[in-house]
Amino acid sequence: MDYFKEFFKGVWEKNPTFVLGIGMCPTLAVSTSVSNAIWMGIGTTFVLFGSNILVSAIRNIVPSHVRIPIFITIIATFVIIVELTLKAYQPAVYKALGIYIPLIVVNCIILGRAEEFAAKNNIPASILDALGMGLGFTLNLTVLSFIREILGSNKLFGYTLIPGFKPALLMILAPGAFFTLGLLLWGMNVIKARTARFKRTE
Amino acid sequence: MEIKILFTILISTIFINNYVLSRILGLCPYLGVSKKLDSAIGMGLAVIFVMTIASFFTFIIYKFVLIPFHIEYLRTIAFIIVIASLVQLVEMVIEKISPALYQALGIFLPLITTNCAVLGVAVLNIDSGFITQEFGLLNSVVQGFGAGVGFTLALLLMAGIRERLEIAMVPENLKGLPITFITAGLMAMAFLGFSGMKIF
Amino acid sequence: MKYSDIVKTTIIISVIGFISAFSLSFMKKITQEPIAKQEQEKKLEALALVLPGYTVQQEKTVTIDDTPFTYWIATKEENRIVKKAWAFLTEKKGYGGPVQSIVGVDESNTILGFTILSQNETPGLGARCVEVASNETFVDHFITKNLTSKEEVSWFQEQFVGLNASKPIAIQKKGNWHKEMKEELIQHNAVTAITGATITTKAVTQSIEEGIQKLHKALTLQEVQ
Repeated sequence: MDYFKEFFKGVWEKNPTFVLGIGMCPTLAVSTSVSNAIWMGIGTTFVLFGSNILVSAIRNIVPSHVRIPIFITIIATFVIIVELTLKAYQPAVYKALGIYIPLIVVNCIILGRAEEFAAKNNIPASILDALGMGLGFTLNLTVLSFIREILGSNKLFGYTLIPGFKPALLMILAPGAFFTLGLLLWGMNVIKARTARFKRTE
Repeated sequence: MEIKILFTILISTIFINNYVLSRILGLCPYLGVSKKLDSAIGMGLAVIFVMTIASFFTFIIYKFVLIPFHIEYLRTIAFIIVIASLVQLVEMVIEKISPALYQALGIFLPLITTNCAVLGVAVLNIDSGFITQEFGLLNSVVQGFGAGVGFTLALLLMAGIRERLEIAMVPENLKGLPITFITAGLMAMAFLGFSGMKIF
Repeated sequence: MKYSDIVKTTIIISVIGFISAFSLSFMKKITQEPIAKQEQEKKLEALALVLPGYTVQQEKTVTIDDTPFTYWIATKEENRIVKKAWAFLTEKKGYGGPVQSIVGVDESNTILGFTILSQNETPGLGARCVEVASNETFVDHFITKNLTSKEEVSWFQEQFVGLNASKPIAIQKKGNWHKEMKEELIQHNAVTAITGATITTKAVTQSIEEGIQKLHKALTLQEVQ
């Protein structure tokens, strides 16, 4: 098995947000600042990592008709671990992410990977899959929040960029999230169309 | 006074803090089921139904099971299990009682378990501080109902627009998700106009 | 479904549930202490902020109008006269749920300090009630190290200091706050609203007004006893 490929497919070829179109809610809601986005990415990657390992480990003993409740229980357990850890050691982050931490449970990426990949593959492949998907998700969040934080609050990592410049508040509100993602997806499509045309002419 | 509070909760969850367009919850079904108006109506009704009863049951479980045993930290796992089994139960009951309704809602019900707006409203009912209030249960049921109505409103508006977009001239690369997101952005901007609205 | 299948399924689900519950209660045990410590620290920090120079003597929780009301009694010695001050916890529903804050007042009902403990308002609008007006830029951060690292008080919260809490606090729409406004606002016993979030501003001023009334009730109650 090509382990390298398993890892990198989550970043580009099967990128969760841009290509598969899943896990949109946290991507849009949390990307108001880069630090929020990175913490959310770390939290989700941890849950993905833990649930993929466990699901892969028990994939042969779980009866198929009750697999979904079992997967959800496993995922929710890891989410609560993230919740408690952040509350204890990073209270500011816990406060900033708010209800989007418990909502990691219903992030389609995690249940999707458990169902589609971890339930069918061995543990090492599942680990790589989880890390790759987690990295892809974190990168998406970071790109989105980078654009939104600069335009919407004239800041980066909480520090003012241009003193005295009035930022476009709209960008950190909900409409800005939709616009940024819409335009980014458009950009992706343009790049894909260009490369396809380039390959044809070759 | 109580009616006034309930009305405020209802208006603010439908318009001001619309779950889709302001809180950005429940996007998967919002994008997935908004292609046709018919299916949007079915999904919307199913979500209103599930959100209302989920608000009721999660509130009761939190107040009478989690708090007395001091296991509030298990909230996430308890709520998701309650919602998942509730959806299954509702599906079975509807199938037995009204086959016509099952025909209309049936295929949407399983999708609702992973709709983050449903878990979102259950968690927000707790975070809104309804637990300690006198009419907390009523407040949270109304909030659940309002959230469902708000979701349905956004979904129907989107479905109406997308049906027209089908026959509009959209640049090749913008077709599909990108134009949908930009439309959603414009809608969210319109809903932003509700913020700051004085209800009473 | 065969009988043995039912047994097998039940066993597997119970085992998974047991493992999950066990690991979570273990996790809870580890994090319990840091969480309690964080909350305690946060409370002490907030009290120090709203009662500058005072020492907190006592924490009290009483029931007023059927709701619990928490307040603190603090004292300070100045020129051999013991001055008293109080801080109280108050909340009012804003747009996205309750806005909870601690207010410190002295004997003449003048607000000594004000800080918002928790809020869930819209980012960029109501959530600016906790915004810190920082002029430290991104470039500054990298070029000069060891800049003022201490957390500054948010501009919205600072403007409450010096107002009279027993009189209604007016809301004026003066746009973005700057220090020169302060004098004029104090004369009118007013604050400037957060642009686009009058409801949040109103929730805060009303919660202070309600809170001070409850405090007076609580103090008379205390004297009676």
